[in-house]
Amino acid sequence: MALLELEGVSKAFGGVRAVSGVSFTVDEGELVGVMGPNGSGKTTLFNLITGALRPDAGRIRLAGRDITGWSPHRVCAEGITRTFQHVRPFAGLSALENVLVGRLYGRARERRATAAAEAERLLALVGLGGRGHVPAASLTLMDRKRLELARALATAPHLLLLDELMAGLSPVETEGVMVLLRRLQREGVTILMVEHIVWALLDLSRRVIVLSAGEKIAEGPPDAVAADPTVVDVYLGTGAGGARRA
Amino acid sequence: MSRRGWLALGVTALAALAAVPLVVRRDDVLNFLFLVLLSVALAQSWNVVAGYAGQINLGHAAFFGLGALVTRTLWIAEWPVLAGAALGALAATAFALLVGAVAFRLRGAYFAIGTLALGEILRITVGNVLPEVSTLPTATIGAYRLADRYYFALALAAVAVGVVAALERSRAGLGMQAVREDEEAAEASGVGTLRLKLLALVLSTALAGLAGGLFAYYHISYYPAHPFGPHWTFDALLITFIGGVGTVHGPVLGAIFYVFLKEYLAIRWVDFHLLIFGALFITIVLLLPGGLVEAAARLRTLARRAC
Ligand SMILES: Nc1ncnc2c1ncn2[C@@H]1O[C@H](COP(=O)(O)OP(=O)(O)OP(=O)(O)O)[C@@H](O)[C@H]1O
Ligand SMILES: [Mg+2]
Repeated sequence: MALLELEGVSKAFGGVRAVSGVSFTVDEGELVGVMGPNGSGKTTLFNLITGALRPDAGRIRLAGRDITGWSPHRVCAEGITRTFQHVRPFAGLSALENVLVGRLYGRARERRATAAAEAERLLALVGLGGRGHVPAASLTLMDRKRLELARALATAPHLLLLDELMAGLSPVETEGVMVLLRRLQREGVTILMVEHIVWALLDLSRRVIVLSAGEKIAEGPPDAVAADPTVVDVYLGTGAGGARRA
Repeated sequence: MSRRGWLALGVTALAALAAVPLVVRRDDVLNFLFLVLLSVALAQSWNVVAGYAGQINLGHAAFFGLGALVTRTLWIAEWPVLAGAALGALAATAFALLVGAVAFRLRGAYFAIGTLALGEILRITVGNVLPEVSTLPTATIGAYRLADRYYFALALAAVAVGVVAALERSRAGLGMQAVREDEEAAEASGVGTLRLKLLALVLSTALAGLAGGLFAYYHISYYPAHPFGPHWTFDALLITFIGGVGTVHGPVLGAIFYVFLKEYLAIRWVDFHLLIFGALFITIVLLLPGGLVEAAARLRTLARRAC
């Protein structure tokens, strides 16, 4: 049975069909990429899966359980967590407290006494070891991304959704994130990630899904998808692709 | 300071304050300390919902007023005053749950605007239904002892500080702070935001209701609409911001500073004190958003550098 299963999921904002009739599955332990031009519905798709938005149509299942329309904290407790495209750490809290929130709530629901040790471990894992006391607001963009990843991991997710985690990072930093993701992959975390950096996807994942104007237009191994004429068309904008509006 | 350091400081302060009526026989001193303690309780109650959970309640006086109204009514009907205050707090909390269940489902400024409107509606309604001044029966006035009010105030202030201190270290308190920082990110991290906002509101309004009960117990005569006045909300808000919003000791420092300054200014510049507090508030929000607590921390850093 697939860990995540989407069946004909749609969402419109007024006249804009942000996501329309999208179906796919993600298996346990997989790392699946999501690609698509700006405004093609990638973030909306994540908002639907995590419960931040309620779909107009379609079903979403996690390990066979229908979670369509659940509130985000229940979805998180069930095992799906995300990072945000525009990082959103709890600015007024320390780095450690940020991670603790995920650890005390989420799927882990660990007791306060033991949660701190695990939070420290996760901070070290993402490269923020020994910086737990630092206010989140004073971290650099790269470190805030790391912090969000640690906070998400702290909830003990079955499935981790990463929305452009690598955007805005230098090549060296990107390489650092990739090392981290490979490590998470080995630890058995299932990952669904939106990424514009195609070479990163080529390297990390065996399967990508391509969205255009809210529709799934291709799915398969990254090199095959990258060579697909429809996908090329959408990215080069020669045809009817790009930010088409319904 | 360590946790034990704070605890020792709190117990010492409590013991010293408890001894005051035995040593000092001046009513003006007790009245002044009473006002400080009432302000600590009221500011701390506002701090729970606004400082920790980030929900700006601009109608806080409604809950203070409800506590006062219920307590006064029951007390005059010869209930024990503590039972009256407990029911007053219950009434305030029940009303708060009703308001919160509706307002918290709406995002943005609805809660602030909604509570502001509600507070005023309640004040006007109470003013119309109960226009007569409420005065204690002669027998009760004869038996009036200021020390009783003072001890009630001391106990309530201690409870309010205790509640916030416990919250600061608890899972619920951390969740509330996450809600304050970013509701959507909190939800995504597994925090049930609606439940925590309601919990904060319940704690906050229970304390405010008790503070209202204390007000009803303290005053020999007042207009029933008076404790519903918006200045109670703004006192709580100013004290919390001056001291340090979202901290345990901020509202305590703020209350001491505020009551002292207010009493002083009220004697010297009756007409100007609102203006001065307005200016003070703006200065703090713009230059020192962390209040006195942050000022103290900055001074400590400066002192360390100078050494
Ligand atoms: N809350 C919203 N209200 C109205 N329209 C929205 C909302 N969220 C997204 N949209 C619209 O839905 C479409 C898809 O947006 P979405 O953010 O999902 O795209 P994306 O693929 O994540 O783009 P990007 O690569 O720029 O992050 C866009 O046309 C966007 O303007
Ligand atoms: Mg996006």
